[in-house]
Amino acid sequence: MPRAKRTTKTIAQRIDLNYFKRPSRWRTWRFALSVALPCLAVAWLAAYGVARDGHAYSVGKMSPAHAVLTQQCSVCHVSKAGSFRASVTDKACLSCHDGPIHQADQVFAPSCASCHVEHRARMRLATTADESCTQCHADLRTSGAATPYVTRVTEFTTEGHPEFAPLRPGFHDPGTIKLNHAIHLKANLIGPNNTRVQLGCDDCHRADAADQSWRFGAAPPSQSQALMAGRTAPGDMVPVSAMPIFGPPSHSSARAYMQPISYARHCIACHPLLFDKRFADSVPHDTPEVIHAFLVKRYTDYIATRPAELRETRSTITLPARPVPVSPRIYTPREWVETRVVEAESLLWRKTCKQCHALSFSPGLAPAPPALPKVAKSDIPVRWFPHAQFDHEAHRAWTCASCHPRATTSQETADILVPGEKTCEQCHHAGADAAEARCFECHTYHDWSREKRVKGAAHISSLSWMQIAGKPAS
Amino acid sequence: MRIDSTHKKWLIASLIILVVATAVYIPYAAASPYGPSGASAIGLTFGIAGFAFMIFAGLLGARKRFPVWRVGRAQAWMRGHLWLGLLSLPLIFFHAGFRFGGPLTAALMVLLIVVVLSGLFGAALQHSLPAVMTEQVALETIFEQIDRVRGQLLEEADQTAARAAALVAPLVTAIPARIAAATEEAPVITEADVAPLRSFYEREVRPFAEKPDARGHALADSAKARAMFEGLRTLLPPPVHESVKDLEDICEEERELRRQVRLHHWLHDWLLFHIPLSFALLLLGAVHAVMALRY
Repeated sequence: MPRAKRTTKTIAQRIDLNYFKRPSRWRTWRFALSVALPCLAVAWLAAYGVARDGHAYSVGKMSPAHAVLTQQCSVCHVSKAGSFRASVTDKACLSCHDGPIHQADQVFAPSCASCHVEHRARMRLATTADESCTQCHADLRTSGAATPYVTRVTEFTTEGHPEFAPLRPGFHDPGTIKLNHAIHLKANLIGPNNTRVQLGCDDCHRADAADQSWRFGAAPPSQSQALMAGRTAPGDMVPVSAMPIFGPPSHSSARAYMQPISYARHCIACHPLLFDKRFADSVPHDTPEVIHAFLVKRYTDYIATRPAELRETRSTITLPARPVPVSPRIYTPREWVETRVVEAESLLWRKTCKQCHALSFSPGLAPAPPALPKVAKSDIPVRWFPHAQFDHEAHRAWTCASCHPRATTSQETADILVPGEKTCEQCHHAGADAAEARCFECHTYHDWSREKRVKGAAHISSLSWMQIAGKPAS
Repeated sequence: MRIDSTHKKWLIASLIILVVATAVYIPYAAASPYGPSGASAIGLTFGIAGFAFMIFAGLLGARKRFPVWRVGRAQAWMRGHLWLGLLSLPLIFFHAGFRFGGPLTAALMVLLIVVVLSGLFGAALQHSLPAVMTEQVALETIFEQIDRVRGQLLEEADQTAARAAALVAPLVTAIPARIAAATEEAPVITEADVAPLRSFYEREVRPFAEKPDARGHALADSAKARAMFEGLRTLLPPPVHESVKDLEDICEEERELRRQVRLHHWLHDWLLFHIPLSFALLLLGAVHAVMALRY
């Protein structure tokens, strides 16, 4: 008998009409996997919870400085009682490190986390974006009086950043010491003991305080002991170590700024303070009062051992080809000393000291001896940009003239030889092949002079991974 | 579902959404000082939109389960599932700023990529394979009933073989009587005549029909099977050819069942990844949304 013909009926009769009431293998697998995978996901999260590791919910890797807190979300994400939210608060940040205020009259203080953005695996959290600064400085307003600062800074370009303050019109060099750089940098200058010398920049300007081998810092052998003691005069600048810190203490470099100019280190060998041919030594580089006392003593001691010089034969009138009888004068020791002191001080105040210093004289009435001059403080700035940091050590690869090209030709004391913005912009500009040009490279938001030391309160054993590892609390 | 002209509006709308989203993202990312963030207003918007699309895509299963719901046609939901599900990928990338982030967010990104890629794979299969099924499986049956139909085919094959064996004439002891019984119209079929059929059935046909998972069987190839059956016919008397034809049809039907099973697996097995992973994605996505609000 042939096979039954295939009709709709015959085909339908092959099917069990109740098949749909029974689960199929495929549907069973689908259901099982649809339950198992989400359960697996929940179990995975629960495992983090059991391990007290909160970083399952982290949105990114921590910076290296905070990496040890990766599993301790609650250190920064503080939740208030009864609140579900656990946001980062400034208080949490300040519990470990201080962040002094920027300016007392700033309109608002951004939160720590708005500038120091975590969970981006950034190497240094202090490398803030320019927008953190320009949110105020692009249109600077203050809560108090009008600000003395430039009110529009957007980026480090000629258009977006003002010229550096010392180079702006109206700025005057506060220093009172007269110096002609061009002369000092000439070849074949007369040096100590009539030698010929060629000065270099680092004969006067060095950043490394440890390097004390100043070529012209030693007085000739005939100088007085007071000079060899290295005593600085009151007019000398404050040492760099005493300068106010504008960066975090851990970031300050002892070789950031040039060491202050000092007569004893930089000038003494070529500019001795000689006052009388009778003496080979110099007066001390000190106040007029000290110099006066030195001169009085020196001459007093001198005439005590040479009383014959009290009798001076000096012609008061000099006429050519006509001999004039001389009239000898016999001084008392006191008169002799007074006369010599006046002569020496006249040389010093009117020529030697005046060559570099600004002296002012109050009018005196003859025959009283003239009053001692007042010497203006030298006030040579060690740091020309009080609101920016600069590190000479970081720029040691470049020659001085690279950034200070006008030094070799400067003849006027009033010339300000710090580089301008265009000089810095040659290297510090936007782009992958340029030096860092963002605000933080030179400026600091926090006024570290107001830093308060934070005492650590957490014990290392409180780290959750330490507890899981069974490390005992010491 | 075939991706045809009925998808045009969805395609255009999706492209518009993608272009607008990209146009918003690029300046936003460029202007972000520390890079785009999911917590920013724009980042959150992308995240909410992307997750909403994912939820809509996930509701397709519920829509199919309750067909009487008056919430749009299942076909429309299917199109929405495809296009909005696909759109969720770029939106979530914009939300995350193309970063994978921490453990949970990285797992979410991986899950999303796998789910979308598996969905694209499945959509391609479901676009092309049904036509192949129609062409290659003329005798398509309900997949869950294939084993039952196979059982019936095996029974039918056994019956066909038995019918062929029944054609053998009863043995007569007297040869002259046997000769006398034979006529030209009804030749006597002996045991020896049907032996090749029996042997072929026992050796080839029955194993082929009995073990559908066995590979490399000669009858699985239709050309080889045709040749084998042609050769068998030459060995058998004409009265038996009808049984051979029936067995050949049964083998053809078995091949079609095998093709149907293969195509069915291609059409549906990807869902065993796609659906569970999408549930896990939605669950973890909800956890992420809650915990992100917390932190």
